[in-house]
Amino acid sequence: MSGEDPQERPQEIRNIINGLERYNPEAASVLEAYVSQQCEEKFCDCNANRALLKLYQLNPDRLKDEVVSNILVKAMTQFPSPQFDLALHLLPPSLSSPTPNSTSELPEAVAHLRTLNTQLEGAQYARFWATLESDDLYADLVADIAGFEDVIRVRIAQLISQSYREVNVGVLENWLGLDDEEEVKKFVTETCGWKVADGLVHIPKNAENEAKKTEIREDVNIDMFSRIIKRSWEEAA
Amino acid sequence: MSNFQNGMAPLRAMEDDSDVEEEALVADYKEQVQYEDLDDEPAVLSMAQQTDDIQSRLAQAAQPLDFSAPLEIKFSSYDQYCSLFHFILNSEGPVDLEPPSYYWAWDVIDEFIYQFNSFSSYRSRLARQGSEEKSQEIQMLRENPNTWGCYSVLNVLYSLIQRSQIQEQLAAMKRNEDPMAAAGDYGSKNLYRMLGYFSIIGLLRVHCLLGDFSLALKTLDAIELNKKAMFARVMAAHFTTYYYVGFSYMMMRRYGDAIRMFSHILVYVSRTKNFQKSAQYDSITKKNEQMYALIAICVAFHPTRLDDTIHTALREKYGDQLLKLQKGGPDSLPIFEELFRTACPKFISPVPPNFDDPESNVDPIEHHLSIFMDEVKTNMFSPTVKSYLRLYTTMDLKKLAGFLDVESEELRSWLLVNKQRTKQLRWNDQTLLEGELVNVSDLDYAMSGDLIHISEAKVGRKLVDWYLRNLSRTYA
Repeated sequence: MSGEDPQERPQEIRNIINGLERYNPEAASVLEAYVSQQCEEKFCDCNANRALLKLYQLNPDRLKDEVVSNILVKAMTQFPSPQFDLALHLLPPSLSSPTPNSTSELPEAVAHLRTLNTQLEGAQYARFWATLESDDLYADLVADIAGFEDVIRVRIAQLISQSYREVNVGVLENWLGLDDEEEVKKFVTETCGWKVADGLVHIPKNAENEAKKTEIREDVNIDMFSRIIKRSWEEAA
Repeated sequence: MSNFQNGMAPLRAMEDDSDVEEEALVADYKEQVQYEDLDDEPAVLSMAQQTDDIQSRLAQAAQPLDFSAPLEIKFSSYDQYCSLFHFILNSEGPVDLEPPSYYWAWDVIDEFIYQFNSFSSYRSRLARQGSEEKSQEIQMLRENPNTWGCYSVLNVLYSLIQRSQIQEQLAAMKRNEDPMAAAGDYGSKNLYRMLGYFSIIGLLRVHCLLGDFSLALKTLDAIELNKKAMFARVMAAHFTTYYYVGFSYMMMRRYGDAIRMFSHILVYVSRTKNFQKSAQYDSITKKNEQMYALIAICVAFHPTRLDDTIHTALREKYGDQLLKLQKGGPDSLPIFEELFRTACPKFISPVPPNFDDPESNVDPIEHHLSIFMDEVKTNMFSPTVKSYLRLYTTMDLKKLAGFLDVESEELRSWLLVNKQRTKQLRWNDQTLLEGELVNVSDLDYAMSGDLIHISEAKVGRKLVDWYLRNLSRTYA
């Protein structure tokens, strides 16, 4: 699973999440600092972040709204993957469905992030960018995560390359959330190394975008019959 | 075993292996059931040698508590467990006791967690209803927030695991070394070793109840799920383990692995049911049904060939539902919900509910269900897309969108989603959480602009299986 056990994870964090220290409420501050580090340094450690959410689950008084939303945004950048859902499962149930008397802003934030995540998971990339633009609240939610839009854009490009050989520039413009064709051309040639010609973006062949014909064949060897042969040998003897 | 050329080898190979394993397991189980009848007498003898008091406490701890027992009884049951575990864990040195029976350690851990689970569910249900009649009970719960607290339950399980050095023992077994060398003073005693072992499975269960599915699977790192498993003789433990492991896999979108787990244990149950003791068998019937429901869900996400026995039983039990699930679309959503509700564990929230504001307490089951349904909704058009693509080798996107009566942009999303979900992590003989990313679909496609190029993997005739089945039949 992507974003599960990154190389950047320091020894201190490793000790916490692999031992009983993960249940010590005091460990929360170390893990919180680690979340901030991930936000600044553009890597993602969903496994360690879940350890923090678990601490919040067991000690709700320690829960910090902005840390929770940062963890969710980080998990979202790993789409498509179960990371975002796995983080959600650890949140208090009251956060997943806003209740009438709630005074906290977190349930609303969680609902917004779920909308964004559903669009990314559902490959509705154009809709994702439109939603992100639609309300300042979204901008606030992703503000702490350095390079959020770039990370999402690169990830989308990577996913497209696994399904497409050629894409219409206009379609790509919407999917990548870019403003005009020039920006698309710049992005795909400079960042992805793809070629543009006649309004089409050409993506080099790779294992996924070929859809090669395959035949599933059975290879027969003597080992497959070993039990039967052994049995007949024994019964004859 | 069978090898195929496009990376399908691991799955088939594993299925065949598990077949061998199952046979070994079944044989093993038969032996043990016979052995066990002889075993009863010495256990009774050693019981008589012990002092009555502690023995009755041990026996008591394994006794199921009536579901409708009043709150006072539930509180005192908690105190009894605490004092018993305190005695076992914190006496000076290991206590010199033999477990009353082979099943005792499992029964104790099972009952301990069951009571924790039902207590937490009951408490949160009371808080949600906030009814006046129960105000006395609510007051009692308010005053004792730490009774059946999550931290104390986790503490007991982790302490039993550490004291018994069971992880070290299992690691030694994995290396084919003598586990006793790693057992220490406590772990070399049956009582500790068995409590430690079943505490690992207990932890798997508690983590799953709390919605921490990856940690649940991580807990089993030391245990090898095969015939050498120590718990194979305790059917209920065996069964519980596979249910929770399978469920956790499903929640991590590893449907192939989930199906493998459920199928394995269900085949095992169907083969051993004739020599199960009836009481033990009754208790697993419900979980049996639940696992069939979960298989139906997993198969809808990940169409695959099932074991014949499982396939037949699944059609019998959930035939209509399965058809609707496999058809997908909005009509399938209520079926997914219904099956999930009947088959999921009784999720709990680890902290006391807010009794002052009944409406703020959300049933944890609804919480987990709604998250699960997000993924169901994301995938609900995949069956439609696949059924059309199978008919063509090339197809124009706009034309297909016309057939399906959707916008082109919508269809592009469906195509991308379906293609992205064909890659799944699959277990590869390492720990449960590890695996390799494999392509699980026989249908592949790629797009050039609006033109969809489709290729379907052709399955050649599979004769080996046929020969083997018929050959073994001639021996029977």
